[in-house]
Parts: sequence; C-alpha cells; structure tokens
Amino acid sequence: MASLTSAAAAATRADPSLHSFVGLRRVPLQNHLVTRNERNAPKTPRSLQIRASKSSPRLSGRPLRVAVIGGGPAGGAAAETLAKGGVETILIERKLDNSKPCGGAIPLCMVDEFALPLDLIDRRVNKMKMISPSNVEVDIGKTLAPSEFIGMVRREVLDAYLRSRAAAAGASVINGLFLKLETPQDSTGSYKIHFTQFDETLTLGGEKKTMEVDAIIGADGANSRVAKEMGAGDYEYAIAFQERVRISDAKMEYYKERAEMYVGDDVSPDFYGWVFPKCDHVAVGTGTVTHKADIKKFQAATRLRAKDKIEGGKIIRVEAHPIPEHPRPKRVSGRVALVGDAAGYVTKCSGEGIYFAAKSGRMCAEAIVEGSANGTRMVDESDFRNYLRKFDQLYWPTYKVLDVLQKVFYRSNAAREAFVEMCADEYVQKMTFDSYLYKRVVPGNPLEDLKLAVNTIGSLVRASALRREMNKLTL
Amino acid sequence: MASLVPLPTTLPTLSAKPHRSTRPHLTLLPRRSLSLLHAKCTGDGAGVVVSSTPEKKLDKKQEAAPDSEKKEEPSLVSSGAVAVVEMPKFKDPRWVKGTWDLKQFEKDGRADWDAVIDAEARRRKWLEDYPEESSNDDAVVFDTSIIPWWAWIKRFHLPEAERLNGRAAMVGFFMAYFVDSMTGLGLVDQMGNFFCKTLLFVAVVGILIVRKNEDIDNLKKLLEEITFYDKQWQAAWEDDPPTDSKK
Repeated sequence: MASLTSAAAAATRADPSLHSFVGLRRVPLQNHLVTRNERNAPKTPRSLQIRASKSSPRLSGRPLRVAVIGGGPAGGAAAETLAKGGVETILIERKLDNSKPCGGAIPLCMVDEFALPLDLIDRRVNKMKMISPSNVEVDIGKTLAPSEFIGMVRREVLDAYLRSRAAAAGASVINGLFLKLETPQDSTGSYKIHFTQFDETLTLGGEKKTMEVDAIIGADGANSRVAKEMGAGDYEYAIAFQERVRISDAKMEYYKERAEMYVGDDVSPDFYGWVFPKCDHVAVGTGTVTHKADIKKFQAATRLRAKDKIEGGKIIRVEAHPIPEHPRPKRVSGRVALVGDAAGYVTKCSGEGIYFAAKSGRMCAEAIVEGSANGTRMVDESDFRNYLRKFDQLYWPTYKVLDVLQKVFYRSNAAREAFVEMCADEYVQKMTFDSYLYKRVVPGNPLEDLKLAVNTIGSLVRASALRREMNKLTL
Repeated sequence: MASLVPLPTTLPTLSAKPHRSTRPHLTLLPRRSLSLLHAKCTGDGAGVVVSSTPEKKLDKKQEAAPDSEKKEEPSLVSSGAVAVVEMPKFKDPRWVKGTWDLKQFEKDGRADWDAVIDAEARRRKWLEDYPEESSNDDAVVFDTSIIPWWAWIKRFHLPEAERLNGRAAMVGFFMAYFVDSMTGLGLVDQMGNFFCKTLLFVAVVGILIVRKNEDIDNLKKLLEEITFYDKQWQAAWEDDPPTDSKK
C-alpha cells in the first residue's frame, strides 16, 4: 500500500500518459484517445462499452447542469468548483442555518487549499492532551511550529462561508429538501430530481418542485438520501454524542489552545472521548460503533474523567450524529456520485471528515469540469470514476494507516496505555502532526522508524504484561 | 468514634459473601468499610479520619486481599448526609505526585522492580474498575519504560520461554523418533535433509505462534481482519456491486 503514494504519484506526474497504480486496479497503457489520455484510461474488467467523454455529444446551446444535494463542506466546495468551471450549478440545502453536530476540527492544509479566511477559525489548538485509561497524561504539540495549529470552527459558520463562495462563483443556492431522483431511460438523457423548495413567503411545508439535470453530486451527509436513491449500499457507522458545556472563564483558560482526548473502555470501547474547545464553550463527547446503546454511559464516564476541568459548567446543547466508518460499496452510479460523509470518507482512529468532505467535493467537481470541457460537453460515468480513482489514490495510504492504528491501539485498555505512552515520544508527535496537518504519509527517517517500531513493540509488550498481572489480581 | 450510620443494604451483602468475588461495584460499600476498619485495627494511623469523603488506603501489608474479606463488622462511616456514594479514590503511600516513588521500593539497596510492576498493575486495575477524573494539579506522569528491560524479561518472558523451549524439546524428540522410524534416517542424517529441516522450522514457528487452542482461530481471523478495510474501499471498483449492500 505504501507504494501507492510516492511511486504512483511520481509516475503519473512524470508522464501523464503512463497510467498505472498498484493496489486498487491495474490499468493498461492507452493512447488511442489522443489528448487527454490519463483521464480516459479504460477499466478493462468492466464489460460496459467505454465511451470517453471527449467523444460525448456536445451540449448545444446550454452549459452542463449539475445538482449538488447538500450544502455542507462537500457540497459547498463542489458547487464552487463547478460554478467556477463554467457548469450551471444548483446547490440544494435543506437547512441554511444548520449547526451540524461536529467536533469542528480542520487541519492546516484545509485552510491553505480552500483559502479560508483566518477569522473563520474560532480557536487554534496547538496542544493536545492524551489521557490513558489509568489517567496517565501526555501532552503532544511541542514539535509544532508557532504557525501550525488545528483549527476549531463552528460548522454553521464554515458551511455558510463555503456556500456564499459558491454563490459568488455563480451557483444558485436553493433552500430545499431533496426527495427523489429519476434515472434517465437512455444513457444520454437527463436525471429528474424531485425536491421541496422552502420559502418563507410561500406555503408552510414548502412547494414540491422538479428539475432536470445532467448529473448529481450527493453531498447530503451520513444519512444521504441520494445514496439511498442510487442504491449505494450501507456502511457501518459510529454514533458520536456530544454535549456543549459552558464553563467558567478560569476553566476555559485551560482549554484556550488545548484539546483533550480520553481513551479507555469506560469512555468508549472502540473510539475515544474528547473535550474540544469551541468559541466560548467546550464540547465534551464520545462515540462508539459497537455499543451504541451504552452511549449515555460512555458520555457520563467522559464527563467523570474531565470532572475537575468542567465542573460547574452548564450544558447548553446535547447533540448526536452518525459517523460513517468506511465508504459505501458503491460511490458512483451512472452520472450520480457521492462525496463527503455521504460517500463515507471519514478516517478511522481520529474520525476526521471535514477536510475529506471538502476535498472530495472539489475533486469530483474538477473531474466533471474536466470531463465536460468546462461545461460544454456531456459527462458520463467514466469521469466520475476518474474522481474516485484520484481520490482513492491520493488518500488511501492515510486511511489505511489510521485503520491500522485503530486496530492496534484501540483494541483494549492495555493497547491504549501503550498508545498514550508512545505519544510521549517526540518523533511520534512529529509524524502524527505532519500526517494530520498536511495529509501526507511521509516515510521519515528509517533509523528513527526502526527505533519507533522497537519502542512501539516494547510499549505494547509491557502494557500487555501488566494486563496479565492485572487479571491475576482481584481487588 | 464518630457516628456510624449502618446502611442496611450493605449488611446482607457483607455477611453473605465473606469471600468476595470479582464484582467490585456490588461490594463497593462494604469494601470501603472494611479498609477503614482494618486501618483502625492495625492502627497504621496516618490519619484515618472519619470524614465525608471516605478514602481507601492501600497498604502494602494488606495486599493479601482475601484476609481483609473475612472481617465481619459492617461498620460504615459517613458524615450522615452522604446520599450519593463517593467513588473511592486510588491512594497509595508510594504513589507520589503522579508517579511511583522508586526510593520507597528499595530492597537491599536496589529498587525492587517486581514490586513496582505489582504496584502499577494494582493501580491500573483499580482505575479500570473505578475510573477517576484526570486532574491538572495531580497529573499522572508514570511511564512504564522506567522499569528496565531486563526486569520485564526476567518476570514475564523467561517463564514463557522455559515453557516454549520445553514444548519444542518434546516435539523435537518425538518428531526425530517418528521420522527415524519411518525413514531410517538418524538424527544426524535428518539434519542434512532439506525436507526435515523445513519440518523443523515449521515445528518451531508453530510452537511460537500457537500457544493456546484459541490462537489457531485468532490467527485465521487476524488475516481476515487485516484485509477487511481494504475490501471495503475496493467495493466501489467491483463490477457487480453485491446485492446485499451491507459490508
């Protein structure tokens, strides 16, 4: 899997016509379609007739029309890129002031890549405290440069900003609820989407409308309706439960630039509990995949572990939301594609989704813009598969590494103790932050890697030896 | 002593189960009273104060846990209006400022690492059963790597190694005899044969990996587990997506 990153990326960069990547699919070299080879490399196992978009019918008199369902980071980013690329874009969002329950952490690369203004970010977290089941504490963040931070944002603010950028680029933002879609009878027909448009001046409950579009991007989140309509399949999901607690200023000072992560069986059997600072309060929460019914118990345990630090706080909001654990079996079908949480692009171990949502929205939109030659030609499924291929190729190593980390370190209390112990190591901190902030899986210094491997094994062995001793004890 | 307010619910539990099983939450109250009682009896003083926040003192001498259970007297201390049970906090005289004070573990002038390991195991077990709030003033900073590697090996690896070597020797002897009876090759000739060397390698690796019956199943599951996430991601590239969409 590691070969995916450097080798494949280097190869494609060096020679665009050379299209190969190891791991997911083997794609043979093709050069019958002259100019944009790399886009049109056919997927040989598929028995469908491959038709490159270059030879697609030219749309006469009108630009390509794409509907983006869902106005979160994924939808906003997709709509902006589409509109900028000359595609007629309609963004349908059901609740324009929605404050989606979310940890709200964005990496540094998102600020750069999406040119986010810094005043969008409420807090810049540059210290994280990891707390083990036996309350061993480790502070991480000493390797961060002064300009590096994890940005904490309010979702309603971020989402509204990205949507406003999309609108400014030419997308039309509609307040509406997507209901269903009708697939066209033949391969060049239009999709018909049914939605309810909300408007204060109109009838309560909104007005049912339909629209004909050429392609649909489903960016409507974990409970995606588009995914259901296109038969994308289900995924396992975690429930994330969060309470927003307003604490005193003195206590808030501790969380000014610090986030905390609690691990332990009491807090979550397969995830972690957190205290994240927000604009003027903290969010205390936890999540789980396997024991959803006990989420309240886990939340109580998280509150207990942070008791001293949030004592006297007032709970101002309680919220919960599903978080996908892995991508849906089908992310593209015909000219309908899923991005963001709807597709299931949330990492394991850390549960990060905002950046990948925005990036996948943008990449999908870019694939459409390219495949339609800036909105002048019809697109087809191969363009969407291009987006999938690019996304998987770019981020698969990140996802896989986090999956391995989760499997190794979230298994048991002993593993979690070892995990927190390992976090004290500076090399680990540097690698962790580098890969989180910049989304790069960099190999690093081989000697240090070896030392790291030895230390990891040592920690795990010690923790499990202690575990065996613990099992012999009856207190 | 100050007013003892016996809580009726604890009495039956206490008398019914003199030998406590590992069900900590049920016998929470009685255990607290027992320790206080014990502390009173042995008079290891250090201020066993009857207060509203009862504390449990883990004394090294009392580590032989079964002993303390046999005490019958169900005296429970509370300052009267304690409606909510306070979780007993972990306390140990050798646990100082969030780490183990190695000076207190000295035996014959050198640190007794086994005792440190025992103490840490006990602390972790305690906190697993009674999770506590993490505190900024009293941060836990203990790191198991301060215990030297040879202490770990002596305590945990060597007994296991002895067992595995024994198994290897027994298997080796039997296999040597078996192969000899089948092929007539003596031990020296067997070593020269490639197939026999392979068999030897497989036997040694097998003994190392399969230590319990469950290990065989665990290994099979492990292989599947390693590749599961990959399969979930590659589902989008399947030609015919599975009809039962749950993955």
